[in-house]
Amino acid sequence: MFSKLAVKNVGRSFRDYGVYFLTVAFGVCLFYVFNALETQSVIRYLAQHPRSNIVEAIQQLIGVLSVFVWVVLAFLILYASGFLVRRRARELGTYLMLGMERRQVALLLLAETAVTALLALAVGLGLGVVLSQALSLFTAGLFAVPMTFFAFSVSLPALGKTAAAFAAIFLLVMVYHAFALSRRKLIDLLRARRVNQELKVRSLGVSVVLFLLGCALLAVAYAMLLTRGLLRVDTLFWVMLGLGSLGTLLFFRGLSGFLLRLCQSSKTLYYKNLNMFILRQFNAAINTTYRSMTVICLMLLLAIGITATSVGLNNTVTQMADRTVPQDVELSVWPEEEGGIIDLPALLAERGFNPDQQCSRWITFPMYRDENGRPCMLQADYDAYGAAWGEEKAGAFVTDWGVRLVPQETEGLSASRWYFLADYAGAAQEAEDAFLEAVNDLTDTGGYSYTTRLSTWMDLMGTKVLVLFIGLYLGVVFLVASAAVLALQQLSQAADSAQRYRVLSQLGVSQRMRGRSVDIQVFLAFFLPLALALVHAVVGMTAANAVIAEVGKVDAAASSAVTALLLVAVYGGYFLATCWGSRRILRSQI
Amino acid sequence: MEQILKVERLCRDYGRSTVTHAVDHVDFSVEKGEFVGIMGPSGSGKTTLLNCISTIDIPTAGRIWVEGKDITALGRKELARFRRERLGFVFQDCNLLDTLTAFENIALALTIRKTPPRKVESLVEETARMLEISDCLNKYPYQMSGGQQQRTAAARAIVTRPALILADEPTGALDSKSARLLLERFEAMNELCEATILMVTHDAFTASYCHRILFLRDGAVFTRLERGDQSRRDFFRRIIGVVSQLGGDQSDVL
Repeated sequence: MFSKLAVKNVGRSFRDYGVYFLTVAFGVCLFYVFNALETQSVIRYLAQHPRSNIVEAIQQLIGVLSVFVWVVLAFLILYASGFLVRRRARELGTYLMLGMERRQVALLLLAETAVTALLALAVGLGLGVVLSQALSLFTAGLFAVPMTFFAFSVSLPALGKTAAAFAAIFLLVMVYHAFALSRRKLIDLLRARRVNQELKVRSLGVSVVLFLLGCALLAVAYAMLLTRGLLRVDTLFWVMLGLGSLGTLLFFRGLSGFLLRLCQSSKTLYYKNLNMFILRQFNAAINTTYRSMTVICLMLLLAIGITATSVGLNNTVTQMADRTVPQDVELSVWPEEEGGIIDLPALLAERGFNPDQQCSRWITFPMYRDENGRPCMLQADYDAYGAAWGEEKAGAFVTDWGVRLVPQETEGLSASRWYFLADYAGAAQEAEDAFLEAVNDLTDTGGYSYTTRLSTWMDLMGTKVLVLFIGLYLGVVFLVASAAVLALQQLSQAADSAQRYRVLSQLGVSQRMRGRSVDIQVFLAFFLPLALALVHAVVGMTAANAVIAEVGKVDAAASSAVTALLLVAVYGGYFLATCWGSRRILRSQI
Repeated sequence: MEQILKVERLCRDYGRSTVTHAVDHVDFSVEKGEFVGIMGPSGSGKTTLLNCISTIDIPTAGRIWVEGKDITALGRKELARFRRERLGFVFQDCNLLDTLTAFENIALALTIRKTPPRKVESLVEETARMLEISDCLNKYPYQMSGGQQQRTAAARAIVTRPALILADEPTGALDSKSARLLLERFEAMNELCEATILMVTHDAFTASYCHRILFLRDGAVFTRLERGDQSRRDFFRRIIGVVSQLGGDQSDVL
């Protein structure tokens, strides 16, 4: 009987559960995707490299972050379910009045939560499996990983971990609500449908002043950021952050009053259709929403900033890799005493790495030092370099090291180190293994250093993957959290203003016009924090670009595109769900 | 005289197996400029009748004409438009929007009809003068007394110059002094603007302001009363007479 009532209740209030469902499903999906990293083609590619322990590091870090994400999601789901229970307080009160015991009502709530949770878990996991493949494809493209590493796969440990994590959250939610229900008085439950929130008259003049003050503070913070840059962390840096946050707060606090005053000054605008009503609604709600709007704006800023910089940095690193390692192998060896001659190919061949067989092209040459300590290179060696890898790379080598070209060996020049540069022939991994073994055996020299393209590539790629995954993970979680909070607030506001819409309906305002009014309000609530966050982000990125430009150039177009795509998908989904839900709440009560 | 409202054999049934006739073959009409009351004990079908006329409810059978137009045949869109343009409402709980000032509440009725913006202010002020609420136009509903709120609602109903004003127990939540003030304003609206008013009430004193009263019992018309040239006091006595005839519990009717 109970399970029947519970299932029916969920079915009936499915649309009420819409945003809750969406939030849980998104949460599950994210949690799975980032805990199932071993299914990612990039990670598999990195893992097949035996010496690389970066994969473990990435997975450990994601694991630690997952705890943080779990806490955020737990609070979010608790908040969302609280909204649902509030909305149904009267219904629950009626059950109690009809003689159901509190224990039974609590059980009913538990059963309902369980049904929704199971559904959302299933949908979220399904979505997660699909999304992780999509992410795998996307990152494979981003890092130019061979397609052989892409395969459809499901990570069982991640499935288990996700299910356990969310089961814990649901348990928490159930216990919390059962406890809260046992403490509520019946009369409060029955009277829960508030007639209207208390309205405070606030002078429009004050709002306008606050708004302008907020804008001024933001302008000061922007100016400080742009002139000082992003990375000088001192007292003024915190002052700047404070000014920015306070400016954002005042901006939202005064915005509705400012808009109202602005529109009132134009009669044609103010006395048109429902404009007056919409603005007044917005203004009435702002007293309760401006704080959350501020927090949401800052959270969005974090989400945008993290996502955009991580994708941007990632592209930058790719470009750096090509420039720093022009050959597959670069080995330089110091002779035991200066001027000594080292035959590197022979030494390597003795130790199992035969350049003639395992390299497609190679050169070896000495690097001299003149009286001033400046490195010098023979013109003939330079020409050999150019013949093997092209004039451009040879020129870059000379410029990078500040090498002076000399026609021939003369007095006063002594070979300070010997170079061996080569590109592998055939399977790079095998050759690399042989080379590494040989090099580790080079004991009778004054010292050596080497870089191989493969290991540099792996290191760089590991860092990139780390930055990208963590950035995306945190960015999307922040985004989901802020959008969900905003959606729930709008929905409860719609429930609060149902009475007003009933009056409008009686006055003969058509359903279309009422729907439009709801949409505009939801749009304002979603768009205004986003707009300000975008402005913040653009200014912040301009400052950040100045920093990153020292390392490399941020690919602004790609990072903006990915950020925009994420924003549209997550934020847009919530926006539509909220419009739909609000309209439904208002329709059902007329 | 021009006929504003004509109700013909109107029925509204509830239930399927055991049918309740909430409104049972009611006929009546209202001429332009009349102030008509509908009385009856609770459960007599007065609110259902009003709901059908105001297009909030749909009758089971019968027809309703407003200004010669059959409103039972209108689609949903046309209904909203009809409500917006031809009807004015005053409810027991005055239903003002709490986020808007009195002025804006009245103006809203105009703006949703797409009245030219430059005309809005003068129309609102003129109507407010007639209902004697000019000095509280800039207040929010919760800053006004019940009587002021109800007069603001009346102003909102009449500012669009509708064909018919429907009032459902407008004095129900008012003390006697505020009620009298409101009814005097109704009379003024009726006389000065030739507003046609149809008012549902179960209060004999409120009903005594009408020109004509329709008594309902169990969904059907019980009797009709015309005030003619009588004073309000005499009319009131006749109403009390009918009310006691109606037989219903006195306390329920008064």
